[in-house]
Amino acid sequence: MKLLSILCMGVLLSLPLQANELLTELAPNASTATSSDPLTTLPDRQAALPAVEKKATDEYLQPAPLADIPTGAFGDKVRLGYKLFVNTQQLRDKYVGNELNCVNCHMNAGIKANASPLWAAYFAYPAYRKKNDKVNSFQERIQGCFSYSMNGKAPASGSPELVAISAYSYWLGMSGLMAKYNVAGPVPELSDVELVKGAKRDDFPMPKAISEHLDVTALSQLPGRGFPKTPQPELAYSPVRGMTVYQAHCQVCHGEDGQGQMIAGIAALPPLWGPQSFNWGAGMHRVNTATDFIYENMPLGKSIQLTVQQAWDVAAYVNSFDRPQDPRFKGDVSKTQATYHQHQGYYGQSVAGNPILGSESYPVFPLKKSVKQ
Amino acid sequence: MKTSFYLFGILLSLPMCNVMHVNASETSSQQVIPAAAQLCTSCHGAQGQGMGVVGPRLAGLSAEYINNQLTLFQTGKRQNPTMLAMAATVQGDNIALVSEYFSQQAVADIPLQFRGDKVAISDPFEALAFQGDWSRVIPACTSCHGPSGVGGGQFPRLAGQEVSYLKTQLLSWQNGTRKGDVDNMMGNIAVKLTAAEIDGLSEFFANIK
Ligand code: HEC
Ligand code: HEC
Ligand code: HEC
Ligand code: HEC
Repeated sequence: MKLLSILCMGVLLSLPLQANELLTELAPNASTATSSDPLTTLPDRQAALPAVEKKATDEYLQPAPLADIPTGAFGDKVRLGYKLFVNTQQLRDKYVGNELNCVNCHMNAGIKANASPLWAAYFAYPAYRKKNDKVNSFQERIQGCFSYSMNGKAPASGSPELVAISAYSYWLGMSGLMAKYNVAGPVPELSDVELVKGAKRDDFPMPKAISEHLDVTALSQLPGRGFPKTPQPELAYSPVRGMTVYQAHCQVCHGEDGQGQMIAGIAALPPLWGPQSFNWGAGMHRVNTATDFIYENMPLGKSIQLTVQQAWDVAAYVNSFDRPQDPRFKGDVSKTQATYHQHQGYYGQSVAGNPILGSESYPVFPLKKSVKQ
Repeated sequence: MKTSFYLFGILLSLPMCNVMHVNASETSSQQVIPAAAQLCTSCHGAQGQGMGVVGPRLAGLSAEYINNQLTLFQTGKRQNPTMLAMAATVQGDNIALVSEYFSQQAVADIPLQFRGDKVAISDPFEALAFQGDWSRVIPACTSCHGPSGVGGGQFPRLAGQEVSYLKTQLLSWQNGTRKGDVDNMMGNIAVKLTAAEIDGLSEFFANIK
């Protein structure tokens, strides 16, 4: 009884937040402006992407097969980017602080449309956002995913890792565009400095055969970008109902306790919450973002199987457990919540009578050997 | 017809079984075969190492998985005349005991290949195994079956399994004689595979030794 009523409260509480969601997009984040400590002053680089409506008529870009990546230094960077993206655990303890890999959320090595594909992302940066809460270059967006989704430490700007992931993203996108608009020859090589910027800029060397069809703005909104927005649920989302969905459709792979499953030393089935998953700053902790991802991509290999309501409910359930702390937390959960969590999420709230989420969160960027499952 | 073939297999394998039994007691690390598992060894080998077309390898599968499959045979969700009869011989606590025994038998160490190790993969079956084919919503086999298909938990080990067995399984999902995997998660994938892919993938995983 108690459990139920508390959860109901949670749902009621979250209703007004739903309406606020759009406003936070525009709200400046004063607290990130000055201080010099990079760890405690991370800007909100996980801000929600503009949700792109999915249409039946959408045609998605088809990047060239990986076998077409050229030999030589440029091709080597592209290949390294692929490898880091799919097996990000190579960077464990260096830049990665959980059991995840980029490919766990950006399915098919960042190629699958509607799973936030790299080929679409590359043309959407640099993206300027209001005030201090801006996402700059492409590499800064990647840094955001290291800090939050990977619960790690972002590689330095211009580092070989960021150059490689940028090169891979660029190659996917450009090879797709060139095929679509019949531009012959290999994907033009770019310098490292150019690569990490992204392609949403007037000085980007875009072949004319492409730019005469798609201007910079059109390129930044390619169909398939991000996770398509799931329709609103009929009933306000509920972690209680979500638990039933979880047990029926997710538990078998992600485990009763959400910790996934280790096979041969790697999380073949990735953890959804707890110390080894994404942290409270990651986009996936927002119920709406997780819903969009889950509805389109889970259970694995099914594509859309859940109903809209089930997707919302299970996303709420997954995000109603504790996980690694928000890296922008400076000792006061309610302040962190007020500054960064004015959206659909449970940070700073108590669900089912449990301690306030955020008050007992797991460490940010722990060493692998120090994390107990 | 099929049954008599299997019976023939048992007869043939009985003497062999004794030989292996001796081997087993020599390597003292192996635990004693529970009585309820004696019968099984005639087709699956004393250490569950498999006996070619007679019976697939059970070593390397988890207790959870074996346990579950025995129940699926018993309830007919997984249809196989031989195993229907064999699974009926283990009931109650013996199911767990037998499952435990086979799950503890050793399999050879294999070099592990992880997703992402190779970028351009020219063998189409290896590519399916490590990258999938998302144009048909087929995820990489190794994203559930683990690196090199070593398996774990309810995901069976594919690496080094008998080739004809792997093939039969994929076909039986296609013809509806194997069911019972939670939420049809493997069935959903098996039905998308072409005949050539079933052959190629079975070969590919069987050859990981
Ligand atoms: C836990 C899931 C998760 C993991 C792991 C993850 N990401 Fe993300 N990523 C997201 C989400 C969710 C978004 C969309 C942001 C939003 O809407 O909040 C995103 C957005 C992005 C974008 C911008 C996409 C666009 O269209 O603007 C890039 C680039 C990116 N991620 C790269 C990476 C890289 C590189 C890694 C590995 C180092 C990684 N991600 C790991 C969930 C994840
Ligand atoms: C058949 C096994 C399977 C089932 C069932 C399944 N998933 Fe997943 N899930 C995966 C795998 C494997 C990945 C990583 C995909 C990859 O790396 O290609 C994943 C990734 C995820 C991720 C992003 C990575 C992370 O750790 O946060 C989320 C969130 C997720 N699943 C949620 C769910 C939910 C919710 C359900 C139930 C509706 C579900 N999954 C059902 C296998 C499964
Ligand atoms: C007469 C030979 C024979 C005997 C005896 C036998 N099995 Fe089997 N077993 C088979 C065959 C053949 C298959 C493959 C069935 C199929 O194609 O579905 C099989 C399959 C299995 C499987 C499924 C393996 C997998 O990877 O899914 C398990 C588990 C199993 N047997 C356990 C046992 C146990 C336990 C016993 C003893 C009680 C036993 N078997 C006795 C022939 C035998
Ligand atoms: C979404 C997760 C998932 C993916 C991806 C997957 N499998 Fe499976 N597979 C399973 C599960 C679960 C089982 C066990 C089914 C059961 O419990 O009856 C299984 C069983 C099998 C079996 C039967 C093995 C045995 O011992 O009986 C074969 C063969 C197989 N899979 C091959 C493949 C191949 C080939 C691929 C890639 C094309 C693949 N699987 C991809 C989840 C998966």
